[in-house]
Amino acid sequence: MGADKFEISVNLIKMAVIFLMMIQIVPILVWVERRGSAFIQNRFGPNRVGPLGLMQLLADAVKFLFKEEFLPKKGVALLYYAAPVMALVPGALALASLPLSPTIHIEPFHLFGQLWAGVDGKGYDFAFQGFSINVGIVYVLGISSLGAYSLLMAGWGSSNKYSLMGALRASAQMISYELALGLSLVGILMIYGTLSFGDMMKMQEAALTYGFFGQKFTIPFLPDWGIFHNPIGMLLFASASFAECNRLPFDLPEAEGELVAGFHTEYGGFKMLLFYIGEYGHMLVASALLAIFYFGGYNIPQWLMTLLPVNHIPGNLGAILFALLAHVVLLTKIIFFLWVFIWVRWTLPRFRYDQLMDLGWKTMLPWALVNVILTALWIFCAQG
Amino acid sequence: MLALSDYIFYFLAFTAFFSACSVILVQNPIYSALFLASTMVAVAAIFVSLDAGFVAGVQLIVYAGAVMVLFVMVLMLFDLKHDLDAFSPGILSGAFKLASVGVILGLIMGSIYMSADMVFNSQVTPIPATLDPVRGLATTLFGNYLFAFEVIGALLLVIAIGAVTLSRVRGGTHAND
Amino acid sequence: MTSVLPVIVLFFLVVAFGAGILFIASFLGPKKSPNPAKDMPYECGIPGTEAPDSKINVKFYLTAILFIIFDIEIIFMYPWAITFLDYIKKGEGAYIMGAMGVFVLLFIFGLFWEVKSKALDWD
Repeated sequence: MGADKFEISVNLIKMAVIFLMMIQIVPILVWVERRGSAFIQNRFGPNRVGPLGLMQLLADAVKFLFKEEFLPKKGVALLYYAAPVMALVPGALALASLPLSPTIHIEPFHLFGQLWAGVDGKGYDFAFQGFSINVGIVYVLGISSLGAYSLLMAGWGSSNKYSLMGALRASAQMISYELALGLSLVGILMIYGTLSFGDMMKMQEAALTYGFFGQKFTIPFLPDWGIFHNPIGMLLFASASFAECNRLPFDLPEAEGELVAGFHTEYGGFKMLLFYIGEYGHMLVASALLAIFYFGGYNIPQWLMTLLPVNHIPGNLGAILFALLAHVVLLTKIIFFLWVFIWVRWTLPRFRYDQLMDLGWKTMLPWALVNVILTALWIFCAQG
Repeated sequence: MLALSDYIFYFLAFTAFFSACSVILVQNPIYSALFLASTMVAVAAIFVSLDAGFVAGVQLIVYAGAVMVLFVMVLMLFDLKHDLDAFSPGILSGAFKLASVGVILGLIMGSIYMSADMVFNSQVTPIPATLDPVRGLATTLFGNYLFAFEVIGALLLVIAIGAVTLSRVRGGTHAND
Repeated sequence: MTSVLPVIVLFFLVVAFGAGILFIASFLGPKKSPNPAKDMPYECGIPGTEAPDSKINVKFYLTAILFIIFDIEIIFMYPWAITFLDYIKKGEGAYIMGAMGVFVLLFIFGLFWEVKSKALDWD
């Protein structure tokens, strides 16, 4: 966590800020979803509460806080109350391990009449990241696979057979698509040869370079992003992320016509909102992973660097501005992918459950294997 | 004085121990399965603190995220009142159960006693700091243990076929539910 | 050794936040007034029937077992994927591809057999 008070306090503040980021993105995303869906469906969304309807979710949150708290009579109290709290945990823990800005080096400085110089007197290294686990992606996959527990606890704790059916179907869907997710990442791991996110983003900085039996072709105006090296993998990863977050077109567990409301039928008030925070947290992690693996992450494009030459500002302020600019670049990409999540939701119809499972096992898994084989052959040919 | 790392280890070890004891002491089987899942997560955290990040991730993905989800799903599917009634009471079966537990416990204690010497007196070679654990794992797996690796693939295939075949058997334990 | 401490701290922070919000919500809401319609399991709003548990499909169990098996195979591919480039640069590319090729063939055979035997067909 850090050796001296400055580092520990900065780390704690960073963790709290990242967790609050996950929570605060929910009002914004729900507003975008409601207005965006209204725009797609050619109607008005919420536009009365506050300017452009921005205060709508604040009003909703206040309303939820004042709702009656009930437990179904035959429900299991511990599981029923633990499930929404457990729904927050995977998204938050996964988001905190993603590097949201490059590591910057802070030189020793004076504050409150004391020299803060870090452990070995050479200053600090910070990144906008809650904590850094050096096996990055394996940790994120492991934590995401714990998300199935909150579904199962909610379904069982409600003691409602429709909730239980919904929870079992939701968790079966989630584990089926975890296979496609894990396998589509093997392609990107082969190309980058490392598990940590920071190294992967560092390798996407240069201009696009293809190798062919030892010769190298460089396309100067395109960056060396993952999508140009592994497009099938990107499509598979994006589709599997949709299924992992229980978003349309894979949201049968939450479908209204099918199982009332699936595993969160018996939840009302703020408990329901905690499930939504968990779902949007998963979406945020999935968008961030998509940006990090396939779209360059926080690398600042060259034209932006010449426009805002922050690397010419010396000292600590320059380092902080550089990290901030990189973070804004990553955030823009994440917001774009979140919009794609919302856009797809209101465009495509929902899959039937057997179509969904067939897609996961019989289509995506074989295609992911094909992706691995093709990438292996491609790398083999590229090296010669 | 205990360092911070010792406190973390004791906390994680206590969590794992408490969860493992709760697995057998709690009445409700679903709580047992959930406590077992939390034991797996605590063990994964201990792996992280030992710098074995990949093994921790694999423990989370496979054990806590797959095997325990299977357990919890199956426990929720089946009505266990039939099974609880199937436990045979009586003195003879009780004595038999105690004797078999005693034999297993004796075997475990004996093996710990006989291997304690090897554990405490062996030389520990420190890992060079430049070795990436995952790369070391891969080099060993595809170097020395290549045949074992392929055999594991065949074993997994056998498990898949066996699971599918077993579920086809008519009758089974709860055919009338 | 202390690299797991931030994870533990964040976990407790999240759980405290969730539990705190639920506590505040239960504190601020109107008093509990149970009535039979609220207590019974929700079945489209009418006071429902207490039908016994219907037969639940065994496909859930099969899906979970097959997921475990293929997940383990995918985990074995991760160290291979990371050192793939290293082996190629050392000149042993064909060896490493052959080693994993046998494994992937077993995987494909398992998947093919499982699809062919209609083990995962939901109706």
